[in-house]
Amino acid sequence: MENYSYLSVLIAAPFFLGVLSVLSPKSLQRSYAILGALALFLVSLFLCSNVLFSTTPGVVIDQKISWFPAMGLTLNLRLDSVSVWFVLLNAVVCLLAFSLSGVWNRKFPRLFSFLGFSMTGFLNGAFLCTDLVVFYIFYEAVFVPMILMIGIWGESTKAAAVFKFFLMSLLGSVLMLVSIFYLMSIYHTATGRYSGDLADLITVASKDPNAQWCFFGFFLAFAIKVPMVPFHAWLKDAYTMAPMPATLWMSAILSKLGVFGLIRFVLPLFGAPLAEVQPLLLGLCAVSILYPAFLAIRARDPKTLLSYSSISHLGFVLFGVFSLSPGGVAAAVLLSVGHTLVSAGLFYILHLVEVRRGGLRLDTYHGLAKEYPLLFLIFFGFILGGVALPGTANFVGEFLVMISAFQSNPVAVVIGGLGVIFGALYLLRFYQRLGFGEVTGESSGRDIELYDVIVLIGVLFFVIILGFQPLWVMKGNGT
Amino acid sequence: MSLMNGDLFAPYWILSGGILVTLILSMIRVETKRPAQISAITTLLFTFFAAEGQWGVSTTSLFHGAIEISSFGMMILILLCGLGILFCVGSSRYLTKEGIHYSDYYHLVLILILGSSLMAAAKDLMAFFIALEVLSIPAYTLVGFRRNDSRSNEAALKYFVMGSVLGAFYLFGCAMVFGATGSTDMSAVYRWSQQNSRPELLFLIGHSLLLIALFFKVAAVPFHFWKPDVYEGAPTAVTGIMASIVTVAAFVGVVRIVHLVDYQAAGWESYAMWIKSSLRGLAVLSLGYGALVALTQTNLKRLFAYSAIGHTGYLTLGVLSSLTQSQNLYAIWVYLIGYSLMSAGIFILMGQSAPQADAGVELIDLTGLMKRNPLQTVVWGVFLCSMAGLPFTAGFIGKYAVFTAGIDAGETVFVVIAALCVVVNAYTYLRPIALMVMRDADPQAAQWSGSVASKTISVLIALAVIALGVLPQQFIVQLKEISLSH
Repeated sequence: MENYSYLSVLIAAPFFLGVLSVLSPKSLQRSYAILGALALFLVSLFLCSNVLFSTTPGVVIDQKISWFPAMGLTLNLRLDSVSVWFVLLNAVVCLLAFSLSGVWNRKFPRLFSFLGFSMTGFLNGAFLCTDLVVFYIFYEAVFVPMILMIGIWGESTKAAAVFKFFLMSLLGSVLMLVSIFYLMSIYHTATGRYSGDLADLITVASKDPNAQWCFFGFFLAFAIKVPMVPFHAWLKDAYTMAPMPATLWMSAILSKLGVFGLIRFVLPLFGAPLAEVQPLLLGLCAVSILYPAFLAIRARDPKTLLSYSSISHLGFVLFGVFSLSPGGVAAAVLLSVGHTLVSAGLFYILHLVEVRRGGLRLDTYHGLAKEYPLLFLIFFGFILGGVALPGTANFVGEFLVMISAFQSNPVAVVIGGLGVIFGALYLLRFYQRLGFGEVTGESSGRDIELYDVIVLIGVLFFVIILGFQPLWVMKGNGT
Repeated sequence: MSLMNGDLFAPYWILSGGILVTLILSMIRVETKRPAQISAITTLLFTFFAAEGQWGVSTTSLFHGAIEISSFGMMILILLCGLGILFCVGSSRYLTKEGIHYSDYYHLVLILILGSSLMAAAKDLMAFFIALEVLSIPAYTLVGFRRNDSRSNEAALKYFVMGSVLGAFYLFGCAMVFGATGSTDMSAVYRWSQQNSRPELLFLIGHSLLLIALFFKVAAVPFHFWKPDVYEGAPTAVTGIMASIVTVAAFVGVVRIVHLVDYQAAGWESYAMWIKSSLRGLAVLSLGYGALVALTQTNLKRLFAYSAIGHTGYLTLGVLSSLTQSQNLYAIWVYLIGYSLMSAGIFILMGQSAPQADAGVELIDLTGLMKRNPLQTVVWGVFLCSMAGLPFTAGFIGKYAVFTAGIDAGETVFVVIAALCVVVNAYTYLRPIALMVMRDADPQAAQWSGSVASKTISVLIALAVIALGVLPQQFIVQLKEISLSH
């Protein structure tokens, strides 16, 4: 029942598609890219189906490819009930980002589809590898297409954003790399052979007296990536300066790379140091919910607002991760899925509005509901997902993570829980400001097009269906 | 022993013969450079294959122990011949553009390669010195190749004076080591260290002087100050030779001289500690200084000079970890091969991008290259990413090897410092990329002006850099087999 040798297709296919799209004509790049992403999604769905639809929990598909044994590196790929969701989301986000029309009619459309596909490939690599060094390689490689996207298609004052984003991420990840080397080295001392595989390193990490330093290296990398609050300095510039597809990518899936890393690597490797600092971490989560929420309330520019809203909600995901309970982690995965779909949808809609109305300011633009009623109806659905209304996946997720974290640090959860209210405040106000009132400014373009309706309704459908059937996501994860 | 095994010396004979042929050809027809160039490339190719044929040869001493034929020496010779071919093919258009395309360039490069490869083969401190001088004299000449340019003259003079002083240091150190051990044969010194349970002060001073001389050559801080001026003043192709061929030779020398004694021998613990602390100091200073000063450079050659000082720091970290476990030496070779390849690529490419003759490439000249020349941008991008140590490039594998070696040797703190310097360095290397892709083109700026051959060469080097990063297995296995004989 396991298709042993096919997981590597998930990494290779995007690069293949990227090369294909470079070879295809310039004027049709968008259609080719969308078709490619759709094909990728179907391939991912097919390859994930064994794990996705299996009735027994805990099914995994493994594939081991020897890559670089002299240094202990193997391409050990593993698709389990956590990574399956991230792989699928990755393909969905790729499809959504390519669907945005913004970049295609500007410069270098071929390069854009190539970068997008290669980033998807690197992300799949990071989501599948269990070898830590190989994971690091993919994790690091994801930056390169992303900074190029910001650099080439970003707003005019993007240089500082690119440098801040790249250097902060790199700072975190090189320390993680050193921690990985350290773990490999103690494994080498203990057994006489090099290995970077998670299963091998778990055996030594728990016994090592310096494990807390390694934990710090890993934590810093992922906390910067998500980002958690004291490490979020890169976020605003990078999100707002990036072209909309890149923002969508960052908010929807790149941030999940941090969450995924915490779930797959940090939790099993560093149980003991995590348990020691758990109350502190939950406190930090509460801060990462509230502080961005305040910033989002103050925001005057919708992209900034959605960026802060995105990390504020990721704070809830981290609540689930740092609850250190299987239930909490399962809820965190569910909430990640919900968050990815909702924030991708919101940025998508923002882009549709921007294309029709030019750059947006919350205090000057009104009356979009009158002009584009259908667009605004769909927008409403995503806003409800964003405020975690019962019936959406986000509600179930936020509710469950708070329950799991409550046992460890009730104060943090109570304070962080206020974020739900603030979230409702800024998102609904955002909706109201943009939607109602008299129409201002030049209007252009028709109401939402059929293609966008289909895509967005499809995404929204899953947000709602997972709100009623959360066990689809959670059943494999120990609940 | 001795001359009976002379055929083992064949690669060096071929190289030496080729030097004479190239020299004669360059004198017969002064106005055309083609014969000398072809002769040099042919010589290097023959040497390359002769050396490759001797790969895996059992270690043999020649010339009464002064020279040793080993896989290690052959590896260095193969690498240097490869780099030499790149420069002989890739820099002719640049030299013509600068008006300094003299046919002497080719035999000087060959002599430089002969000296460099003999440094890896020398097993006697005096033979080593001769090899060092055979390497240095063509290097001084090449640096001053732009003879009507005052910066080139200044660089050559500076390099020459510094080089002579370090030569004196080296000879003085040699005399002291001879005084302490009674021999200049490296193997004899090594045996002496195993038998003699107490390092003498005379030996300590002598050994330190030798090390200072070699660290001068690799430009570790605080012995670095000649490097930026020499890099800037030298013609771009020669800067590339300095950054690749001379760096390889100098690090081979450092490894040889550092491993002059057996650090595991009884009674040498405090001596090993002393050498280790010095290396730690040199590594940290070079890493930090190189990383920080490179940040603000606007001239590309100076930028890469300071970045080279940073790379010296990483390599010194590799040397440091080889003191504890000699199998860690492979990390230095991995790093050096990757680094010399990408340096060669960068300077060959820079020679093609120079806007007009007699000017260095300023960072600003790269502005908007993406629009004007996508292929060149991609090649630049590959080299810069590799310099920064991003995954899927040779630079990453080199850093990987050095960092793992460092942690295995228990130098975790220094690996963390080096890792932080990677971040600082990344800014340096990202800046040119940002200029190339983010800004719009300046119509006056640099064009891709190389010949077809040199363009092909830079694309090939870029592919090699990626290949080493993606499929390093075979390469590392080979390098792990190489050990340094004593």
